Amino acid sequence: MTETKSDFNLYEYICGTVDSIYKHVEKKAPQSLWTVDIQKAYWDSVAHAKEEGKMVVLGGACAPVELFYAFDMVPFLLDMIPTRIASQPELAGKYVDIAEKYVPSSMCAIDKVDLGAVLSGDIPAKPDCFVYSSVPCDNSRVAYPYIADYYGVPSYCMDVPFRKDDNSYRYMAEQYKEIVEFFHQSIGLMEISNKTNILMKKIADLRKNVPCPLPGKLLVLNEMIPTMVGHPAMLKYLEAQYAMGKYMVSKGLGVVKEEKFRVTWLQNMLWSNTGILDWMEKEYGAVLVMDGFGYQETALFNDYYDKEDVFITLAKKGLALPMIHGAAGPVEDWIRMVDNIIEDYKVNVSMFIGHVGCKHTWAAGKIISDMVQEKYGLPTLYLDVDAIDGRYKSTEEIKAVIAEYMDTIIENQKVKS
Amino acid sequence: MSKESLLTDGIGINNSFIEEWKQQGKKVLGTICCYVPEEILHAAGVLPVRIRATGCTENSAAEVWMSPFSCSFARSCLEFLMNGTYDFLDGVVATDGCLMAGRIYDNWRYAGKEKTGHKDYFMTMIGAPRLHKEKTLPFYINELKALKEGLEEFTGTTITEERLRESIALYNETRRLIRELYELRKQDNPVISGSEALNITLAAMSMPKEKFNALLKDFLAQAEKREPVKDYRARLMFIGSALDDPEYLRVIEDKGGLVVTDMTCYGSRYLWEPVEMEGDGLSSLAKSYLSRPVCPRMCNLHNELHDLMFQMAKDFRIDGIVYAKMKYCEVWGGENVFLEEKVKKANIPMLALEREEIMTNVGQLAVRAEAFIEMIEGGK
Repeated sequence: MTETKSDFNLYEYICGTVDSIYKHVEKKAPQSLWTVDIQKAYWDSVAHAKEEGKMVVLGGACAPVELFYAFDMVPFLLDMIPTRIASQPELAGKYVDIAEKYVPSSMCAIDKVDLGAVLSGDIPAKPDCFVYSSVPCDNSRVAYPYIADYYGVPSYCMDVPFRKDDNSYRYMAEQYKEIVEFFHQSIGLMEISNKTNILMKKIADLRKNVPCPLPGKLLVLNEMIPTMVGHPAMLKYLEAQYAMGKYMVSKGLGVVKEEKFRVTWLQNMLWSNTGILDWMEKEYGAVLVMDGFGYQETALFNDYYDKEDVFITLAKKGLALPMIHGAAGPVEDWIRMVDNIIEDYKVNVSMFIGHVGCKHTWAAGKIISDMVQEKYGLPTLYLDVDAIDGRYKSTEEIKAVIAEYMDTIIENQKVKS
Repeated sequence: MSKESLLTDGIGINNSFIEEWKQQGKKVLGTICCYVPEEILHAAGVLPVRIRATGCTENSAAEVWMSPFSCSFARSCLEFLMNGTYDFLDGVVATDGCLMAGRIYDNWRYAGKEKTGHKDYFMTMIGAPRLHKEKTLPFYINELKALKEGLEEFTGTTITEERLRESIALYNETRRLIRELYELRKQDNPVISGSEALNITLAAMSMPKEKFNALLKDFLAQAEKREPVKDYRARLMFIGSALDDPEYLRVIEDKGGLVVTDMTCYGSRYLWEPVEMEGDGLSSLAKSYLSRPVCPRMCNLHNELHDLMFQMAKDFRIDGIVYAKMKYCEVWGGENVFLEEKVKKANIPMLALEREEIMTNVGQLAVRAEAFIEMIEGGK
């Protein structure tokens, strides 16, 4: 299946968009340039890989990115396309529409955009190979294997088990070994990977402070980690974020002047409308302190020279990725994570801003929100959205539902006091 | 009820065979997804009953748990677990077949915690790899070993190699008989309709195999005396998401489309390929269950699934395919992207339908089925 080949080059387009953002931020808020540096570094590396004679490896969930860097390959995680272009509904919509000619409209828009972008011919060159896995969900189990077939490049699919125990780690480690036949080149990258993950944990810990020193939007940007973990640019980005957060905490500052609410979102990020987070901060002093799919802590490589340990660590990291750590296995993993978030981050507002394509998380929503209600006395706002296809629900509609909920909370507080 | 109509008219979820089994003080376990090898349960002296939601007309209680964005088959199965339809069960064994199957299990554990939390209620979920390759087989074997050990502890019965082999042999006999049943459907004027055949495979999942095999043998021996179906207008193959309601096929057949074969996990894909003994029983089961093309959940068996489908299309001399995707079943819904072009190339007319477990759109189904059959007739 091929759509009409166009002259549109998706890589160049995204690089152009990121460049525009870069110029804008450089002019208006140069102190925040580090938030764009990471995006620029990533998209430039993908767009210019061929010119630099590097191989591009297409990746799905659980792809061992550190190892790709070790082989001097450029990782291109497919799901970066939808999350990057979600704020441009016309482009995201174009790919969704192409995909819907072949797959049901109920399919997750992340995978529809992946499929549509590939079928559109807008991706300028075939990747050199494709490494993907059987997670995170039933949607990706359609999109990834089809894309592998479509490109016809060498591909490797890894089976990811639903439990997170020693057997599962060993099982995945064995498959990582199949992906990589040699090992010694990866040592330097593992150091960077460890530093990246240590920083990630420190940044997550900073967010536990009251007031929260970092904006909710950075949680969205942090989702680039699986794409670039092990890359120096990612380390630089996290160092800048950590420095800013640390400074804010030292001055007793929060991301909003007066923090009134500490919010958690239990499901996906709203990539198609991240401005909602700014609006919540401004309008209600409500800061998204941590989300159910966010990064907090992951395994570190203990001994770079112990091959077994390296592969087991890769497996642990793979099973700790967002959408896999909480949602792809037994519901208890997710419950535990949400429980810890509410307690550790001192959350007082719970929202299930549910991406409609993520049906298996919707199907566990009541179990999670029951726990939140029973243990913490927090009701959960449910709102269905499409995290990628902005045409599903307008900004006004989303704001109206959240506003009604926040106003009720405020009203209740007044009554109680 | 005659022996024949027991099979062809549907024996119901909670039936006299299960009552009789329970009266003997024996245990019954529900299974979710066809990647649970029932042979292991049978070898433990347990009656495995495949969970289904045939005839479900209401699933709003389950919707509260699983949201309206979940597959309605899964929701309806949960509804039946919650509303007491499956109160005869002593536990549930599931696999992570698709994510919805996993969520039936998760939600039942919480929604039915008074039952599922009881020490006499067996609850377990095993991992079924989504890839068929060398590295995944040992993992699956280990999962089956854990299931075996859990069952031994629960029942107090040791599952010896001999017992397991006997169970495999019994199930292989069921497979042989089901294939023989399908052979009848290859005839120009089959003596059995699609909806009757589905009732028979559903019966296989809902009663002891020893009794089912005997009934099916009798049925096959007497089959030639049945009235052949002559007044059909097109021979159809049914493919798609879990279909456990023969009424759905009856609507199509009432319009003249005779369903002569299928590719569904409650139909031919339930028990078909014999388990070949290679080494011990568990390894043989694992090899067989992982390699058979059953469901597009398997990431690397799409071609095998399609090859089998086209072979069946040829063997059963079909005129068209009815491809019914359950709403929110992405594995079968998404299969279209692999399949559509191949079906077009093979020049087989295909009717793509979206359906819900609850039969609410019978009128529309009838209209679309009739139009499809007319189209086939026009092209002959």
